[in-house]
Amino acid sequence: MNALRTTALGTLGIALFLLAWEVVGRSGLLGISWPALSDVLAMLLDPARLPMFRRALGATLESTAWGYLWGAGVGLVLAAATHLLPPLRPGADRLAAVVNSVPSIALGPIFLVLLSREATPAAVSSIHVFFIVFVSVSSGLQRASMAHRDLFSALGAGRTVRLARLELPAALPALASGLRLAWPAALIGAIIGEWFGAPRGIGILIINAMQNFQIVLLWCAVLLAVASSLFFYGLLTLIERAAYARFG
Amino acid sequence: MDAAIALERVSKRFALAGSAEGVLALTDLTLSIAAGEFVAILGPSGCGKSTLLRLVASLEAPTEGQVRVNGDMPGLVSARHALGVAFQDHALLPWLSVRDNIALPFRIAGRGVDDAAIARLIDLVGLKGFEAARPKQLSGGMRQRVSIARALVLEPEVLLLDEPFGALDAVTRRQMNVELQRIWSARRITTLLITHSVDEALFLADRVVVMSGRPGRILREVTVPFARPRDPTVMRTEDFHRLVDDLTAALDSNASASAEAPHR
Repeated sequence: MNALRTTALGTLGIALFLLAWEVVGRSGLLGISWPALSDVLAMLLDPARLPMFRRALGATLESTAWGYLWGAGVGLVLAAATHLLPPLRPGADRLAAVVNSVPSIALGPIFLVLLSREATPAAVSSIHVFFIVFVSVSSGLQRASMAHRDLFSALGAGRTVRLARLELPAALPALASGLRLAWPAALIGAIIGEWFGAPRGIGILIINAMQNFQIVLLWCAVLLAVASSLFFYGLLTLIERAAYARFG
Repeated sequence: MDAAIALERVSKRFALAGSAEGVLALTDLTLSIAAGEFVAILGPSGCGKSTLLRLVASLEAPTEGQVRVNGDMPGLVSARHALGVAFQDHALLPWLSVRDNIALPFRIAGRGVDDAAIARLIDLVGLKGFEAARPKQLSGGMRQRVSIARALVLEPEVLLLDEPFGALDAVTRRQMNVELQRIWSARRITTLLITHSVDEALFLADRVVVMSGRPGRILREVTVPFARPRDPTVMRTEDFHRLVDDLTAALDSNASASAEAPHR
């Protein structure tokens, strides 16, 4: 009953928001830079433009996915390594903090030089993901209870056995939370990375639309980015819930 | 000396913030448990009886004196995977089934999982049909049965039980005592049980050791005269009641003395 109410209220809220978007756009209240929702959707669904949108979204999602996998993989391995070798911890924590504090817009040109135009979006994206996953797994590995630690000690468990059989499973909910939060960050990273000259992608679409003052196209690109981000965020939320139910 | 568990003049001091000398949990404690003997330690809360068990379980090191299990340091015994432990917190892994929780000590020891041994234990602790259940789906008493099965699965040299039924209601607790008595009689492993229940100690143990309030010392030792296997009706005999009164009085006399002591 409560869940039903929440869903109903949520749906109503979204409907009101979209309605307000349409009304503000139609009335021209905020000038020409705020188009009506229907105009944006009409362009988005225009069969002539569909291949372009599909190519752009496909390219961005591919970069995002690579950045996501690399960032998550490196974050996970580094967190596990610092957990097994505690002397590495302060250094790794500081490295992660430094990497995170450098604005990705400043990292872009460096990746452009080091890698290629095509690989820059995934690289920027992976930096975003790395930090979130490293931090969430590092704290997740501390989550095993005192009683469980005592049990493993008394049973004579070595470090790696303890990591594999206790600490990693106990860290899975935190990892799942990190992975959920990391997707939007990965997408933003990919879009920023594209601005440094990727051949195609949502980021390129945004830049081109902006420079040519194609307001409706700009909104199309933003809407695509938001919709795809929300879709994966929702998917990862389901995985996170399953992880909490099983390992929490 | 062929004691299975031996504590010799053991003291344990814990560091305490803002206190130079810390907290003395145990002082000059000597205790010897013979192979195959079941000893229960009774004491007021905070008397260091759990510390005593943690010393034997290799979870703490003594400040003075020495602790030996079959002649070896507890850390060595733990490293050869020969300690069986069950705590008040059942410490079952929530993501594993009953069967996998009981198989955990095999995996920690890097030995092949002996399915037949696990099946026998599941039968022994009365959990047939619940092999695939997760801890969340079990009652408190059933979780402790799993925890005890897990403690027994590697056929440990010693069994260490720290208030395993402390969180259970009185009725379940009595049932679990009867169960543990039956399980123990089938295996006869040297056992150290920490408890604050006089009935539990007398019903289960060959010998009951009463500890004083902090710093923990041994106040009294009582050899339990009841023959095994013990029927629950033994708890209704006059001898049993007399011993309960006797030990309760010993506990009360030193509980009032330790009531002033600060909590750790």
